[in-house]
Amino acid sequence: MRKISVIMAVVFSLMIGFSALAQDDLSPERKQAIDSLALEKVRDLSKYVSIIGNKSTPWSEANRVIDRAEELFMSGAEMGVSSLSSPEVRYYNVRQYFERLMRLNYDRVEIEWFKIEYVSDLQRQPDGTYVGVITIFQKFSAYDKEGGLIYEDTTKKDITVYVKRKETQIGGRIIGFWDVLLGDIRVKETKK
Amino acid sequence: MITKQRFLKSTRQIAMMVLIALVSLGGATGCKSKKNIAKDKAAAEYASKVEMAKKDLNSILDGTSTWSLAEKEQRFQTIKSWNLEDTEVQSLLDKVEDKLARDRADVQRKAEEERLRKEEETRLKSEANKYDPIENYFKAIAASPDAVTANEKIAGAMQLFSTPDVPVLIIISQAGGFNDYDRPTTISKYLDYLKDQKTYNSRVNQVKYDANNRISELELIKK
Repeated sequence: MRKISVIMAVVFSLMIGFSALAQDDLSPERKQAIDSLALEKVRDLSKYVSIIGNKSTPWSEANRVIDRAEELFMSGAEMGVSSLSSPEVRYYNVRQYFERLMRLNYDRVEIEWFKIEYVSDLQRQPDGTYVGVITIFQKFSAYDKEGGLIYEDTTKKDITVYVKRKETQIGGRIIGFWDVLLGDIRVKETKK
Repeated sequence: MITKQRFLKSTRQIAMMVLIALVSLGGATGCKSKKNIAKDKAAAEYASKVEMAKKDLNSILDGTSTWSLAEKEQRFQTIKSWNLEDTEVQSLLDKVEDKLARDRADVQRKAEEERLRKEEETRLKSEANKYDPIENYFKAIAASPDAVTANEKIAGAMQLFSTPDVPVLIIISQAGGFNDYDRPTTISKYLDYLKDQKTYNSRVNQVKYDANNRISELELIKK
């Protein structure tokens, strides 16, 4: 009886170990899927920023989109804001940043993100979280009532991304998922 | 005088006998020659059949023949019907019979595989079509030119679901026997997502329905 218990304990340990190994050592295909997922979240954010900044977006819609955009971030994440007129970079809580973006005092605003790519690949941390840095270039253009360009700059920003495996219960079963959360968005460079 | 007559009679008789003997001998020799010719001809025909049989059977065996399986089988039966008593031909016939049996089985197997493939294709098509109403709503929402149109489509799509909080699971990878999911969302948020992002790059993988035949859980998979 004791022998059976020992064997069962060993088998159970091996199973747990194998399961943990399966999660730790991701196959290149799975890693690729997670890399793509994180990039997609940044592209989603890019679209949200554009909608929020767009003056023709109804107020209620903009607020709904702010909620969706905020869900992409870790709690307490900050967004850097720069301008050509000042070397200072100001950091705002993401919710504050989006609300300020929505209320910008221009008649028309266009925000476009491009060259969205990893500058630092997702690396596994001791706590199991994968951390990487994605860089983006943001072109900001503001126009007056007559359609004249008032202000324009291009800012390079680094976004820290955190990807962690989590579990939730849906319909009575446990679902393992990859939770991608964006961290601080730091301004690296601003130019005309 | 009498002796002379007897001599002449004897000479005639001898000549007659010689003539009869010659005629008989000549006739017998001609008959034997005809038989030989026929025998030689038959032997040549047999040898030709043996050669042809070997050639045809070898070409079937080594795959150089351009005949169809039915033509090969017909040829095999023809050669077999010749009943050639040649050991090489007999050995080739045995080998060809085996090969044709294998080829026939192969053709039947391929036909069965093709039938199953078509059946599976039809099944998958009907399976895929089963989700067309959902897919069409998703595509229409993503392709909406403005928020008003998208909202109308969203209202229509919501009729398919039990509640706005129906869970939506999105598979991002199925490698290594694992289903990797994105963070689960709700159908209400997902439809808004399609409206905002203006793109639908997944397909419906699985659907669960409630007692009222409305969707109670949706699983998508990234393309």
